[in-house]
Amino acid sequence: MKHNLIKRSVFLIFITMPFVLLAQSVVKGTIEDASYGGPVAGANVIIKGTTVGAISDFDGNYEITVDSFPATLIFSSLGYGTKEVQVTSAGTINVSLAEAATGLDEIVVSGLATSIKRTNLANAVATVSATELAGTTPPKTLDGALAGKFTGAIVSANSGAPGGGMSIKFRGVTSINGNSQPLYIIDGVYLDNSSISSGGLNAVSQASGGGNASSQDNATNRIADINPDDIQTIEILKGASAAAIYGSRGAAGVVIITTKKGKSGKTKVNFSQGFGFNEAIRLQGQRDWTAALAESQYGEGALYTAAEAAGTLRDYEKEIFGEKGLISNTSISASGGSDKTTFFTGFSRNDEDGIVKNTGYKKSSFRLNVDHRFTENVKLALNTNYITSNADRGFFNNDNTGTTLGVALTATRPWDFLLPDANGNYPDHPNNSSNPLQTRDLMKNNERVNRFIVGGSLDINVYRNENSSLKLVSKAGIDTYTLAATVIFPKELQFQRPDQGGLNGVSAVSTTTNKNANYSTFLVHDWNLENDLSFNTQLGATNEQFSRNTVRVVATDLIASETNVDQGANQTVTQDRLEQEDFGFFVQESINYQDKLIGTIGLRGDKSTNNGDVNKLFYYPKASLAVNLNNFDFWNEDSFLSRLKLRAAYGEAGTFAVFGSLYTIYASTLIDSNVGIAVPLTRGNPNILPERQKELELGFDLGLIENRLSLEFTMYKKNVDDLLLLANTQPSSGFSTKWENAGELENKGIEIALNASIVQNDDFDWNAGLNWWKNKSEMVRMDVPAYNTGGFGTSLGTFRIEEGKSVTQIVGNNVDGDLVQLGNAEPDFQMSLSNNLNYKDFSLSFLWHWKKGGDNVNLTKLLSDFGGTSADYDDFTVDPNGQIKNGDYRINNGIFAGNATPFVEDASYLRLREIGLYYSVPSSTLNQWFGEAISNVKIGFSGNNLINIFDYNSYDPEVSNFGGNGLSTGVEVTPFPSSKRYMFHLSAQF
Amino acid sequence: MKILKQYSIIVLFVTALVVTSCELDGGESLNGASTSSISDDLSRGELTQALSGVLSDMRVGLATHTDVQSIFGREYYYFTSSDPRFEGDVVVGNLDNNTFYTTTPWGARYATIKDINLILEGLANTTADFSAEEIAATKGVLNTLKAHELLMLSDNQNDNGIRVDVADPENLGGFLNRSAALTAISEILATAATDLAAGGTELPFNLTSGYDGFDTPSDFLKFNKGLHARVEMYRGNSAAVLTLLDDSFLELSTTSINNGIYHTFSLSGADLSNPLFIAPNQEANVRVAHSSFVADAESGDNRLNKVLLRTTPRQASGLVGAYDVAIYGSNTDDVPVMRNEELILLYAEANITTSPSTAVSAINIIRSAAGLLPYVGATTPEALTNEILKQRRYSLFGEAHRWVDMRRFGRLSELPNDRATDNVPSAVPVPANEN
Repeated sequence: MKHNLIKRSVFLIFITMPFVLLAQSVVKGTIEDASYGGPVAGANVIIKGTTVGAISDFDGNYEITVDSFPATLIFSSLGYGTKEVQVTSAGTINVSLAEAATGLDEIVVSGLATSIKRTNLANAVATVSATELAGTTPPKTLDGALAGKFTGAIVSANSGAPGGGMSIKFRGVTSINGNSQPLYIIDGVYLDNSSISSGGLNAVSQASGGGNASSQDNATNRIADINPDDIQTIEILKGASAAAIYGSRGAAGVVIITTKKGKSGKTKVNFSQGFGFNEAIRLQGQRDWTAALAESQYGEGALYTAAEAAGTLRDYEKEIFGEKGLISNTSISASGGSDKTTFFTGFSRNDEDGIVKNTGYKKSSFRLNVDHRFTENVKLALNTNYITSNADRGFFNNDNTGTTLGVALTATRPWDFLLPDANGNYPDHPNNSSNPLQTRDLMKNNERVNRFIVGGSLDINVYRNENSSLKLVSKAGIDTYTLAATVIFPKELQFQRPDQGGLNGVSAVSTTTNKNANYSTFLVHDWNLENDLSFNTQLGATNEQFSRNTVRVVATDLIASETNVDQGANQTVTQDRLEQEDFGFFVQESINYQDKLIGTIGLRGDKSTNNGDVNKLFYYPKASLAVNLNNFDFWNEDSFLSRLKLRAAYGEAGTFAVFGSLYTIYASTLIDSNVGIAVPLTRGNPNILPERQKELELGFDLGLIENRLSLEFTMYKKNVDDLLLLANTQPSSGFSTKWENAGELENKGIEIALNASIVQNDDFDWNAGLNWWKNKSEMVRMDVPAYNTGGFGTSLGTFRIEEGKSVTQIVGNNVDGDLVQLGNAEPDFQMSLSNNLNYKDFSLSFLWHWKKGGDNVNLTKLLSDFGGTSADYDDFTVDPNGQIKNGDYRINNGIFAGNATPFVEDASYLRLREIGLYYSVPSSTLNQWFGEAISNVKIGFSGNNLINIFDYNSYDPEVSNFGGNGLSTGVEVTPFPSSKRYMFHLSAQF
Repeated sequence: MKILKQYSIIVLFVTALVVTSCELDGGESLNGASTSSISDDLSRGELTQALSGVLSDMRVGLATHTDVQSIFGREYYYFTSSDPRFEGDVVVGNLDNNTFYTTTPWGARYATIKDINLILEGLANTTADFSAEEIAATKGVLNTLKAHELLMLSDNQNDNGIRVDVADPENLGGFLNRSAALTAISEILATAATDLAAGGTELPFNLTSGYDGFDTPSDFLKFNKGLHARVEMYRGNSAAVLTLLDDSFLELSTTSINNGIYHTFSLSGADLSNPLFIAPNQEANVRVAHSSFVADAESGDNRLNKVLLRTTPRQASGLVGAYDVAIYGSNTDDVPVMRNEELILLYAEANITTSPSTAVSAINIIRSAAGLLPYVGATTPEALTNEILKQRRYSLFGEAHRWVDMRRFGRLSELPNDRATDNVPSAVPVPANEN
């Protein structure tokens, strides 16, 4: 202890010595947050026109030595606007920084351990603030909340099932069979975003029994676990030019999430409660049934008449999808702390019922973020998050047995009587193998997650003086969860009864344990030269470990009404493991000349146990340059053009091969009690390499009229070479597919973001943002023959990887039987418009999102045509000649004629993604009512997807039968319909 | 400009840790045995498992194979609410070369052949203590099964052809049309027979209960000969058929028509259930007999118990079926690979020209087993061929024979088409992914 004290005092002397010596010209003070008065730690203070600077400590205190007065000090910090203050003499200057309004002045995390001012950034990095993320209306899931909020992304829901299921792609498709979903990092922890199928569903649906290996049951992707309320900012690195330092994990983009931190001072407690409900966006409706139609379609005119007389004609679509699900969101958070230790803690509980009975999503999240300063120069941050979630997802999408609710509905007519009797006995469906009401009420498809995410970082200022500093940053993070999925099909179900060929009950338990661990260490050196050059050097090493183990037990022929998996005659056990370890290092050098020219070069090296040669390093370089023309002397400061930056960035990143793709692994099988080994569909490739993405991004940012109008224009070209293809092999080899590095694709695009502060008055202000973006992809080279992927074949429309064609083309046979391109999943462009209006104590925000173009393969209608139940069966809108009924056309002239044209549909939409209207009770009123006890009381209404305009002939053009990865998005087979949400909110601070 | 010592020590320590910890250990195939573990060196313990894999894989795609052929042969229709192509493409005869009804049977048979080729490779490289007899017996069994798989492929593909030499995935053999394929299969069976004959008295592995009575080299040889007889019949070599049948498990008796080789099924674990079983009177998924099956039957034919009158007919897209196919009574029933009933019919067919009376007596065994009176028609080759085709239609209903039989006698045009759009194709196209 004593020894320590001595050490510390020695240390303090070293630190304070320079200041003591030059005390007469020292300016010092505290930097505060303008909104609540807490300290702003780590803020930059720079003497304008020089590179002399200082950084505020954890209490917001700063000291800077000024050589000559008067001088201008520039204060800046992450998330805050920049402030310039004139100083004429040494002394104390306290400054308060306001949160960045336009986003121009904020600080952006650019390295693994460094940040940079947005104005000096050479990439178009998108930032989503807490307000933008969840301020208008609470998002269903974190990833869903990103839709339309920045350029360059396709954010699409796979289905409307509670608990999410999203696909996010930045700047087009980046991988066809490798990972194409971005990397999520929360406070330095690499998050797992797997979608893990539950056992037992496919045993019943047999969706993977036909030509398609996917079980098509749309599991939740695990990013849904993250609580949006905890988030301070999200930054999005869209491609290799920005994400090169993430190496082989960065090719699909990186989503960097920073959670809220505590601020020392009085402990503040925030409480918010939201109530609301959801309902289906659009139902398909019924065919215009009459007794005559029932007779001609089914010979059941008499049954129709009888049901009509008895008053038992029923709209089963409404019966199943017509529920209003209740939503309740409760959130309590507290923040505060002492000068050494600060904390943020939050607890939230979300409870949302689905639009189908017995579906819903419940989530509780507890977070504790603690920052502790051991000494002036040693800081520890610990972020912990525990999440428990519980999703009941029902039984949807494609099947081969007529058992999912969606497929069963396509065969259900209004006169079928499916309601249970008083004792809960359900009648058999007269026209289908399952009674959808019975299935809905008795089956269970539940996912429960218990998840811990813990991240820690240790910052040590090794050394610091006026011109240079050296910092050591060590980070460690663990994301670990257990996912227990339960699937139960009781033996009472129509399709489970042995006399119906059923399995006499199915109960399945799938348990997944997952652990991601990542460790990294960086050295960051800042060096400011006399000649106005400053250098930032960082080097570091990272290590990531991934471990996953899924055990699925499916029991059939169950005893009585027992559901334990040992309580059945037959058990099938499967296990799937993943173990991967990656190691990487990187170096990066940034050079800043007076904020005029900012250049960066860097190199990342990576290796992984997923590669053929585990210790071979793959290198990913990057280089970028930003030129702030407005900072040069020739710039006329009074120009209406207040800011002009030119930027160029190039970077490379990779995607490691999928785990296990090195090997050809026997599948295990059983026959007559003998265990057997059988060749798999896929032939491994011991020489597989990572994909390599090379992205060049060029753009300019300009600000007009004192930056009240700002424009960010970006164009990019990114090529992905050594493309990982699960290429078709000649099946006579015994294998259907083989892993190969066999092609190159290209994405080119344009992104334009326009932000305007239209009105700025004391009582009224109005900010608007307009985003426009488009991407065009092409398969520029293929070393293997063209092949179809992600669909149901050319007679129904399928994706096809073909040299010279768009990567996302949808092909099929046309009316003449020729294989042609029938569509393209890629939108022509996307556009979003956000508005934020504040009048006195009222605020109104809304976000429109327009996706123009992009096609889906819609097979829901075809299935209901086969059931004779399509609402538009008797219309004449599909036949180009208008002669044949839609239902007949799709069947006889569509599938039976080998013509896939009717199934490829335009999936454009325009939707009011978010709208919120809030009233803040004035503090004077609050003081009258409650004294000082309560502040910041806000009430409001909000909604999600309230207006949806689309021609697409089904529930929602945002849909994917095959989940989120790769190319198969936009194929629709009887999904869980998506919903809109209406919410009421109340929040207060104590 | 002073570096604080204790921190520099930390920095050095961390740097050292990072540099030294960067060697990665090799990954491994966690989720199953690598195929090279069999092909590089086959052990005694692995042989039974690898062989069980072959027997198990022989069942994969069996339903699609059987359904497609049975629809082509207008034996039954398969209506499924979730895949309309069974009542579309397959009945219309407008076949896609890149969808499941084309690719599943093709891929599944070649996967089984790959299983077999990996074991044959492993036998060549083995360091285990297999005797020469054991190796010969194993090769004999494997090549017989391989011939069976190739024959299923050739049945489907006809003159579109199949590949026979597929041991090296990087260097696949050429396509053989029907006659060349049958010649190649015949040669494989002959070699297998020689191996089986030299195979000693016991097989060094377990077969399934579906091979009861055929589980020694000499008994398995009887299956080899039966299968070879089928191939020679397809090639039109009646004399060879008769010789082969002599050494096969042919038994001219009404009680033993179901003797033979079977695929077995169960519900336990990773085993498969009988994919051809559907309970009666279903709606969503049904196999309904073609109306002509009942209409054309002689009265009293007990083989009509292979279908069951539905409570209500099932229709789909203008096709209708009043009878469910009810060949199998549960989802664990065995499915035949080859039965004595077929051998008796092959025997009859091979005798049509050389000994019509022998043919008639063989036909009468079948008729008697079916509860019918003896054959009284003409004994001209044409009349007997008609009769044998008819008996084959009822005896081998739903076992993937009808379409092949009608094709080899040039009679596909006689098969009924219920809708104007319908057509019976003569072959399945070569899958798109074969170049």
